[in-house]
Amino acid sequence: MLNVDFNKLAELINQNVSGANATVNSTEDAKTDSSISVEASKIFPVVEFLKTNKEMPFNALQAVSGVDYMEWMEVCYIMAHFDLTTPRELILKVKVTDRVSPAVDSVVSLYPAANFQERECYDMFGIKFNNHPDLRRILCPDDWEGFPLRKDYVAQKVYNGMEVFPDNKMNFDDREFIVRQEMIKKAQTQAAN
Amino acid sequence: MQSKWDIGEPEKRTINSETEQLKSDLLTLNMGPQHPATHGVLRLEIWTDSEIVAHVIPHLGYLHRCMEKHAENLDFRGVIPFVDRLDYLAAMNMEWTYVAAVEKMLGTEVPRRAELIRILVAELQRIASHLMAFGTYAIDLGAFTPFLYAFDEREKILRLFEEVSGARLLYNYIWIGGVWNDWTDEQLERVGQFCDVMEEEAKKYNELVSMNKIFIERTANVGVASVEDCLAYGATGPILRGAGMKWDLRKNMPYGLYSEFEFDVPVGSSEVAGQAGDCWNRYMVRMKEVVESIKIIRQVLQKMEPGPVMGKVPKIIKLPKGEVYVRHECPRGELGIHLVSEGTDSKTPYRLKVKSPCFTHVSMLPHIAPGQMIADLVATVGSIDIVLGEVDR
Repeated sequence: MLNVDFNKLAELINQNVSGANATVNSTEDAKTDSSISVEASKIFPVVEFLKTNKEMPFNALQAVSGVDYMEWMEVCYIMAHFDLTTPRELILKVKVTDRVSPAVDSVVSLYPAANFQERECYDMFGIKFNNHPDLRRILCPDDWEGFPLRKDYVAQKVYNGMEVFPDNKMNFDDREFIVRQEMIKKAQTQAAN
Repeated sequence: MQSKWDIGEPEKRTINSETEQLKSDLLTLNMGPQHPATHGVLRLEIWTDSEIVAHVIPHLGYLHRCMEKHAENLDFRGVIPFVDRLDYLAAMNMEWTYVAAVEKMLGTEVPRRAELIRILVAELQRIASHLMAFGTYAIDLGAFTPFLYAFDEREKILRLFEEVSGARLLYNYIWIGGVWNDWTDEQLERVGQFCDVMEEEAKKYNELVSMNKIFIERTANVGVASVEDCLAYGATGPILRGAGMKWDLRKNMPYGLYSEFEFDVPVGSSEVAGQAGDCWNRYMVRMKEVVESIKIIRQVLQKMEPGPVMGKVPKIIKLPKGEVYVRHECPRGELGIHLVSEGTDSKTPYRLKVKSPCFTHVSMLPHIAPGQMIADLVATVGSIDIVLGEVDR
């Protein structure tokens, strides 16, 4: 990540947004990127602060991405500063622990770019974004069941009267199939515990 | 800005007084999913007031292939062919971005010749992709001939790629650690000859289409997106440069060996025609980028030196725990790869998020399209040059 002093930025966030509890997930080597974690309930004021502050502003939201760690889910806000002299990048994370009805505040009113990105995140992970103007599924059909990128996702058997994965067309020896079945089993046992 | 998404009340538009007196209901019109102007399977739900577009609602997902889910079950090398199929018109650039993300986490040293070849194929691919954009944009606006001219030159690039990688469109050529196959001197010589031809052709295209009065009338001052709009909606690439911001990742945050190369970053302006941020300037940025790519390719040919094309990579790739976000300048904008890995015993990506430039550009349509004629909407959609494989992933 470029031109970002993570410790200083975390300090700035904590000073200006009360209860944000910003912590730096730093890495020792240059191989992986550092990131900043904040409280899920404070994501709107934190993003607002990042957009409007004078010291280290970020003028664009690149992507909103989710990661399912089975015990919790993470929403990653990938932000960037488009500036000819000091371009910046930042991964901002919030942790969502509720798997049944996960929800965070929407940032569409700050960055219109978040509109489609948050819809995609909702579509794939089922994370609801409060105050989103148009929270519908975007890539899957509106009446699709389940959230495909969750680790414990099992595709529905029948969709609109059509069989989705007919047994006679499945290759049960396929490596990819076996890996996925193992992953689903692991996720389901973790969820049961 | 919030009101753009509230589809209850139509936008305030400039309608001439005669039309204003005629009270009319909004008519819903579906453009696509099978429509030549949407360049694939995109459905635009258009609410029209006679000929004027009041709202545009994009409906995506017709080409959704769950690429991100597939990637979680494949090993790191196995993902490369899937990344190809994102933007099938610029597969080399897609591969390079993904491979760069894995290499960053792996800490691989890529040999110099492989780095040079990567820039060579990426820039050739950029020309091929912009030629496709040029040809199909002319078709959208009703001119068929430029398409044939563009495909003639594009074919030469695809022939070269076919010789060196074995495939015409989906290459699987850039591998983790280097590239799959070396270029022979004879092939490199032909690249040089192609550059000479292409330079002349680019001039011809400008005479034929860019400076054509009818073309300028159709595209200048149509579908204007300012720099502020672009940043708010996350638009990048030719859209952002067409709006007037001199931003190019190859220049501003150089990756690979791009810092050694000299080239200009073309931006849109109101000097020749239209205004910054309109369809004509977006189109013109692409045409100028073709010339800049030729410049880069000529420098690559000069710098080319013998050596290996594959670095040292372990047989089974296992990445350390952590995540990276890598973005590259692709022909359609900035492609971002967010790759998460779960420790050293995992052979597959834990999560692969693709930040697609076209996806963000489509999200911009409801903002820039209202108030235009339907025919101008076709010009606007064509000028942002979407590829649905990348939008839907």
